[in-house]
Order: sequence, then structure tokens, then C-alpha cells
Amino acid sequence: MAVQQAPNHFGRLVCLVAFFLFFHSGYSTFEHLSYLKAVDGRESGLPLDITIELLASVALFGLGIVLVADDFKEILMETEMAKQSIESLDARPSFYSFNHRGRAVFKNVILKDEM
Amino acid sequence: MVNAAKVLQDLRASAERKPDVVVRLGKPLIDSGAVLKLDADAWLVYEQVAIAALDMGDDALALKCIQALETKFPGSPRVRRLQGMQLEASGKLAEAGLIYKAILEEDETNVLASKRQVMLLRAMGLPSEAISALVKYLDINYTDFEGWLQLADLYLDELMYAQAAFCMEEVLMLQPQNHIFHLKYAEILYTQDNFQLALKQFCRVVELCRDHVRGLYGIKMCASRLLKAAPSKDAAAATSHEDLEAMDLLATERLIALYGAPGAAAESSKVAATKWIEIQ
Repeated sequence: MAVQQAPNHFGRLVCLVAFFLFFHSGYSTFEHLSYLKAVDGRESGLPLDITIELLASVALFGLGIVLVADDFKEILMETEMAKQSIESLDARPSFYSFNHRGRAVFKNVILKDEM
Repeated sequence: MVNAAKVLQDLRASAERKPDVVVRLGKPLIDSGAVLKLDADAWLVYEQVAIAALDMGDDALALKCIQALETKFPGSPRVRRLQGMQLEASGKLAEAGLIYKAILEEDETNVLASKRQVMLLRAMGLPSEAISALVKYLDINYTDFEGWLQLADLYLDELMYAQAAFCMEEVLMLQPQNHIFHLKYAEILYTQDNFQLALKQFCRVVELCRDHVRGLYGIKMCASRLLKAAPSKDAAAATSHEDLEAMDLLATERLIALYGAPGAAAESSKVAATKWIEIQ
């Protein structure tokens, strides 16, 4: 199982800021459109500040995601295999047999939570 | 609870046999009925916990799981196979055999039931019958590497190394990227005194899995056996004396480095291992 990386707090903060910018630009667009409707203007396109805000949020999102994402996994099958244990690589679930000591040993054992 | 379901799913994927973990995590899920929240996965959990419970001798839990599956999928061969396994676990081998036979009479291509029949014969103490049943099964399903592995195991129980080595060759054809199978093959060859080929296979293990300790030990053992033995007649096929010495040296170096890595082993076992490696 993959080792969990410590979460990157800076990256998460960047993502959060980017999200607020994105949300705000969306809200501003809505406001701008309703304003246009109110004054019955025929202007098309968005004001420059909203466009800039939107592009900045996209750029920040890109940066944040890169920071937050885990390390890449190996593309080679061998390296993934090397991480697995001999028990899972040599397991044969359809050939289980039950004449082993487990049934006798664990019959009266109450399993406790070890974690 | 979400965590337990995740662990159970990982165990299903990796196929590791850890019945204690499965029962400890799965029993509360099933007793509280929380398992039904997992939708389609619930039935897989029931099956997994049933088999684990049989392993642990918790027959009541196994019965509960199998009954739940029976009400959901009445007459399904997969559930009937579980019932057969339950009979097997409680020692009623003949009755289990009847169930598998009935499944196979309805559908002779049922892979799971034919595999169970093999293990049933083995449990009955009839290894040669188990082998011939498995050979018959592999005649039809020759791409099933699990079957070949099991056949190799059965042959090894009977000390038939040549046949086991053949089975492992088949496994390697089907799963060439798995270093454990190469290791198994190499160890069978070593047992057969075929050190030349075993050395090559141990090298393959280390190639596939960097610094594999068992593989490195294998290289060392093969190299020292070959160095002690008289030079073989077909010198062209054999590895040269210098190469063997170099491989031996390299394996020794890697082993000592591996045991010397911080946190790899306790101090006492480190000393013992290093001493043993050096005198070899």
C-alpha cells in the first residue's frame, strides 16, 4: 500500500484562494449581467477585471493542484510488484483448504481491536 | 466503518489470506447490518467474511453470511460452492464432494467447482488423485497460472521436482513479471542440483526486484557451489570462473549493505548474518 505523503498546507491554501477567486468572478459576472439587463445596455463581453480575475484563479488552481498532488506512481510493472509481499503474490484464493490449525487455534479466541 | 470497508476491499484485491483481520473488521459490519450500506460490494464482503470465518473456525458467522447470500442469490453455483466449503471445513468431505459434483453436472465449465474438487481430493489424503484431477483441469484451462502454481505445489509435496519445475516454467510463461515465481523456480532448480540454470534464475529475481534478499542469497549459494565443483565439460555454456567470483563478491557486498541499512535488522541478527555471509 502506498505511503501517504504529508498534506501540503501551502498548496491547499492556494487551491482555496483560487476557489474563492473563481467563485467571486462567477458572482461578478452574474451581477454584471443583471446590471446590464437593468440598464438595458447592449454591451457584449465581460469587463477586463473579471476576465483577469478568472484567469488568475485558473493559474492559481493549476499551481495549487500541482503542489497538492501525490508523488507519481512507477509506470513499470516490476517496481509495483516489488512492493507487494510474497503472501499476496503467491496467493491462490480459489485453492484454499481448511484442514489447517487455524480452525482449532482460533475457535475460542475473541479478536480484539489491535489498532 | 468506511475504513473497515476500504481495508476489506484492499485485502480482496491483494488476495492475501488474513482471516483474522477480515473477521475482526467484517464481523461488526455484518452483525450491525451496516454492510448493506455498501450496495453491490456488500455481497463480496459476505463471501469474503464467510471464507475467513471458516478459516478461523467461527462457523456461526460463516453460516450467517452464507444464509444471507443464499436468500439473495438462491441456487447460485457460487453460493453452493461456499456451502461446500463450509462442509469441507467441518470435515464432511463426502457431502462437499456431492455439492461440487452437482454444480459440475449442471455446468461442466464451472472453474471454481473443479478447483474445489482438486483441493477436496487433497484434503481426503489422495494426492495423486488430486494431481490427476488438476492435470485434467489444466488440459482445458491451460492459461490459469494459479492452477499451474497449485500443481507445482502438489508435485513438490510428492518430491517430484522435475514435474514441479515444468509447472513453474508454465507459470513463468504466463506471468513473466512476477519475481516470486522466478524465485520459486530458481529454488526448485537449486534443489535439483541444476546450479547453472538456478544461478541465472536467481539473477533474474534480483533484476526484477532490486536487492531481493532471498535472490541474493540464492546467487551466493549457487556461485559458491559452482566454484567448489569441478569445472564442467561444456565450458562454453558455463559461466566463467572469474564471473562467478565477481557475482559472489557483488552479492556478498549487497547483502552486507542491506543488513547494515539503518533499521533493517536487530544488531544481534545483523552480526550473525554478516558472519555467516563472510564465511560462505
